[in-house]
Amino acid sequence: MQRALLGGMLTGALGGVLGSFAVLRQLSFFSDALGHSSLLGITLGILLGVNPTLVLIPFAVIFALLVSQLVERSALPTDALLNIVYSSSLAIAILALSRVETYRGGIQQLLFGDILGISRLDVIVIAAFLAASVIYLGLSMRAQVLLTLNQDLAGAMGVRTRWHGLAFVILLAVVVAISIKAVGVLLISAFVVIPACAGRLLSRSFPVYVMISSGIGGGCALLGLLFSGLAKLPSGPSVVMVQFLGFLLAMLISNQIHSNASET
Amino acid sequence: MSVKEAVLQVQDLSVERRGRLAVEGVSFALAAESDTALVGPNGAGKSTLVAALLGLLPHASGRVELLGQPLGANGFLPRSVRAQIAYVPQNLVIQGLIPVSVAEFVGFGFDLPGPRLPWRSGKQRMEAVFIALERTHTCDLRNRLLTELSGGQLKRVLLAFCLVRPRRLLVLDEAQAGLDVHSNEHFQQQLLELRRQEGWTVLQVSHDLEMVRRSSDQVLCLNRKLRGSGSPEATLSEERLGELYGLNMVSQHHQTHG
Repeated sequence: MQRALLGGMLTGALGGVLGSFAVLRQLSFFSDALGHSSLLGITLGILLGVNPTLVLIPFAVIFALLVSQLVERSALPTDALLNIVYSSSLAIAILALSRVETYRGGIQQLLFGDILGISRLDVIVIAAFLAASVIYLGLSMRAQVLLTLNQDLAGAMGVRTRWHGLAFVILLAVVVAISIKAVGVLLISAFVVIPACAGRLLSRSFPVYVMISSGIGGGCALLGLLFSGLAKLPSGPSVVMVQFLGFLLAMLISNQIHSNASET
Repeated sequence: MSVKEAVLQVQDLSVERRGRLAVEGVSFALAAESDTALVGPNGAGKSTLVAALLGLLPHASGRVELLGQPLGANGFLPRSVRAQIAYVPQNLVIQGLIPVSVAEFVGFGFDLPGPRLPWRSGKQRMEAVFIALERTHTCDLRNRLLTELSGGQLKRVLLAFCLVRPRRLLVLDEAQAGLDVHSNEHFQQQLLELRRQEGWTVLQVSHDLEMVRRSSDQVLCLNRKLRGSGSPEATLSEERLGELYGLNMVSQHHQTHG
């Protein structure tokens, strides 16, 4: 249980850190599509007889890069394209999984997460990616903020916009892939989006925003997992419910701050 | 103009955008500390040319030299050269959500491109930010979020962003867009003062031909190709404007400005 709590907390914090950039760059739906499509990667692993987690990371990265290219080159609206990609891959994955005898009972765990199934190696991998994300985003904070503000301004000020854009998409894909086991395919985007939105409501500075989002992500995951253990409920939905309550609380606090400010 | 004096040299530059030649065979140079206006009708390729000069778009052919350094095919310039160039885009804030304060944003203008430890040169950076905000009369805005600023305030903050470290070249893409007459006058006055004090070379895309007449040393008339260049008196004649914008635009301009 301790390992599950630690793994969940790290996953939540990681989702908060990356989510704070993903939300502002309008990549929320992209992370959702990536999460749903990950089921296809898991299915590939099962069909090939390889550990699904090992297949999922390269699958998610390649998938994310291909979808980014598709979105960049197509004249169709991004949300419509993402919808086509993720619903098709989800349908293929579920159809294929339903034919695999040994995984019929496991679909629910894949869809909603099973934090108790998290291994020591999973915790180490999540911790390593959290550290890598913090170092990368911390060292390139100027590039990340300028890129989020205005791509042309960033490029003119020497930011390698294409390189940083790709690096972020790859990082997001890896994080989605390694968080699937704990969170589940259907709710992974909540880990990226909700803490970041709550953090935004409470911040007036970019580094503070990233830290608050990460703290909310980690804290909500910890509380949600404790609640899930006590109430014997699935881990993913329990954490997302706590995140939602955290978001409502952030909204209340933000409204209070704004009304106090307008009074003075 | 000798190569040594030129801050920007462009030779036979062509740029493609969305599969068609948006800028064709353009050559010009910007003398140090000069103020050049780039004018032309909508869709003439002005923003495309600016993007290509800054290395944001690849060149189909030709050569660009900034501060004596050739601009690489992939937009590469040495960090030391890049740090001497500042850019004011037409519309800054795309993401209405981004929580970046004015002081934070101006601080990003101080940092050189590349990785930076968050605590490195903190004091020097803070001092430079304070001076830049003071000189652009934006000190009172330092804790405000960029998203909370009016168009005029945002343009002054962008000037502070340019001013926070020594620059040689300032490129402005329709800086007056979204500003009312008073805010535009104020911005242009401030830009003129700072240009003289700092010795900036300015390249400004503009639709405000009256302002161009008043403040520019050189005018570049672009409509895919360079249709004329020289002093405002020589290039903004009725005949030239007629060729550049079409007759309707000229009569409209006369109706507006008397």
